[in-house]
Amino acid sequence: MSRFLDGHAGVLGRLALRNVRRQGRRSILTSLAMVVGIGLLVFSRSMADGGHEDWIDAGVRLGSGHVTIQSPDFATRRTLAERLSPTDLEAALAAVSDVGREGGILETATRLEVRGLASSPGGALPVVVAGVEPDVESRFSQLDERLIDGEYLPDGDELAAFVGVDLAERLDLQLGSRLVLTGQDAAGDISGQLVRVRGIFRSGLPEVDTRIVHVRLGIARDWLGAEGSATSVALLLESSSLVDRSARRLGQLLADVPGADVLTWPEAMPELEAAVRMDDFGDYVFHIITLIIVALAVINTILMSVLNRTREFGVTRALGMTRRDTGAQVMIEGVLLSAVSGFVGIVLGLAVTWVFFRNGLDFSGLMENGMEAAGVIIDPVIYPKFRLPTLLGSVGFVFAIGVGASIYPAYRATRIEVAEAMKFEA
Amino acid sequence: MTHEPTAVTTAAPAVRTKGLWKIFEHDGIVVEAVRDVDLTIERGDFVVLAGPSGSGKTTLLNMIGGLSRPSRGRIEVDGRDITDLTESRLARWRLDRVGFVFQAYNLLPVLTALENAEFTMLLRGIPPEERRSRVEELFAEIGMEGLEGRRPGKLSGGQQQRVAIARAVVGEPALVLADEPTANLDSKTSDGLIDLMSRFNRELGTTFIFATHDTELMRRARRFIRLVDGRVVEDERRDAPA
Repeated sequence: MSRFLDGHAGVLGRLALRNVRRQGRRSILTSLAMVVGIGLLVFSRSMADGGHEDWIDAGVRLGSGHVTIQSPDFATRRTLAERLSPTDLEAALAAVSDVGREGGILETATRLEVRGLASSPGGALPVVVAGVEPDVESRFSQLDERLIDGEYLPDGDELAAFVGVDLAERLDLQLGSRLVLTGQDAAGDISGQLVRVRGIFRSGLPEVDTRIVHVRLGIARDWLGAEGSATSVALLLESSSLVDRSARRLGQLLADVPGADVLTWPEAMPELEAAVRMDDFGDYVFHIITLIIVALAVINTILMSVLNRTREFGVTRALGMTRRDTGAQVMIEGVLLSAVSGFVGIVLGLAVTWVFFRNGLDFSGLMENGMEAAGVIIDPVIYPKFRLPTLLGSVGFVFAIGVGASIYPAYRATRIEVAEAMKFEA
Repeated sequence: MTHEPTAVTTAAPAVRTKGLWKIFEHDGIVVEAVRDVDLTIERGDFVVLAGPSGSGKTTLLNMIGGLSRPSRGRIEVDGRDITDLTESRLARWRLDRVGFVFQAYNLLPVLTALENAEFTMLLRGIPPEERRSRVEELFAEIGMEGLEGRRPGKLSGGQQQRVAIARAVVGEPALVLADEPTANLDSKTSDGLIDLMSRFNRELGTTFIFATHDTELMRRARRFIRLVDGRVVEDERRDAPA
């Protein structure tokens, strides 16, 4: 190492380091711009990753899960004709059991969904009735946590219904009110079922609060003549990062079951994935603009430093340094400045992010009326999330800034003509 | 066009120029800075290029030192034709064979006196122990002992020029080119530096070529060449030792 530092590269490194230090105030100001820029990048990426994880979590809980097993045509037609037969359902549950906790599966919700009409003396509205297993569903969708009145499908009450607050208001329903659900049964006939409102929830999403009705799976199967079958098996995983692996494994296990298709959440809920991508895109545009500003600051500093040292570069070239040496020296200066600033910026970004790890960053003041994206309620409290690719990306950005911002000043330095440079008055 | 360097022949003169021209053109204005200069400078000589400002002294010196290329003609230094050397070969050749002393000292402000003096040896990859011992020995000879760790900004003009001279001669080049080396110094300091360079010339056999207006330096030169309008108008060899 000492031999290297004492050699040719060491001379360039030493000159570069001392020149960065020599331009103390200018280097510090540039460094500060980089520290803030990179710190902001790390913080906002961590917040965005955390926010998106929340979106996905909320979306998959209320919707189809991280992974869902359903009939191939159910996604487009959503009728009972495209349900999982008892045999397919049995195969699907066996496959799920096989993947199990080791595959990251936390919850398995068997659902029988049908589009229908909810009628009361107060009127009638189109709804989606979901026959669910209350114990599982309460852990899965956590819709019971949105309860504002009554209880969530209480034990022993086979005719219990759980409705949204908007539906209750529009059909003039209270706890104990009777409600008639009408839909097309498995045989294709229109069939009705009387239920009683036992609980009312408020999700904050008008679409959900007006249209979703939960009843017990058993009563749904009896009503619709779909004994032993389901329209979907929704799986909740430990993390969205396990989706592809779990879906692939389930797909292999169900390869011989043509009636059961394995879908990941982006496939089942493309609008949610599009929302995440759009938000990511917006973030990237913001980050790129920030980084361009930072890069311009670095270019300015290094270029000014090069122009101010025209005579010095002339001297070093006269003494035997090549154009390549001169360019390398300037590149080293830029990379040094960026590396140090980038490291401090990343540490600062991580430190600021760390502050919000426990309690999150509360935006409820900005979204008093709630906010939704792609049919998902956005939690106003965002918890950051560190992802290795994000951190590696930040390191890559720092390196790119250092190298990219030094290229032009280095090029200018290599173009200096020695004899002309010696006339230059510093 | 690349040009393979010719072999160095020991009998060759230090510098030989043949039909050397340097023509500058800027905004349509053509200036013939050096015109048809044929010159042979022997090894170990102590030569002064004199002449009024704009006579072509510095331009000629720059071409001999490989800092700028002639418009026409050829230059041989130490038996090697440098006219068509590529930029990188020219840089390497300067590093190995030429020492420079400039009017404004031109020490690198981020390096200490010692590091400035050993700069060319650093680039040449000479081991640290050898570098240090050569620089320290030289510093002792030129009265710079104890000032090795100082940056140029903490040295007087005379001290800076001593370091610059040390930087020029420490690598034992064949040729030292000095452009107005005493112009920024008082006469006493200037005389001391001329003595120093004269001593290196005698003891090391290094060829010195100066571009100068300094009358004392002109008086000490063993060869006096006067340029006017880019042409050699006087070339006088003197018996007086440097």
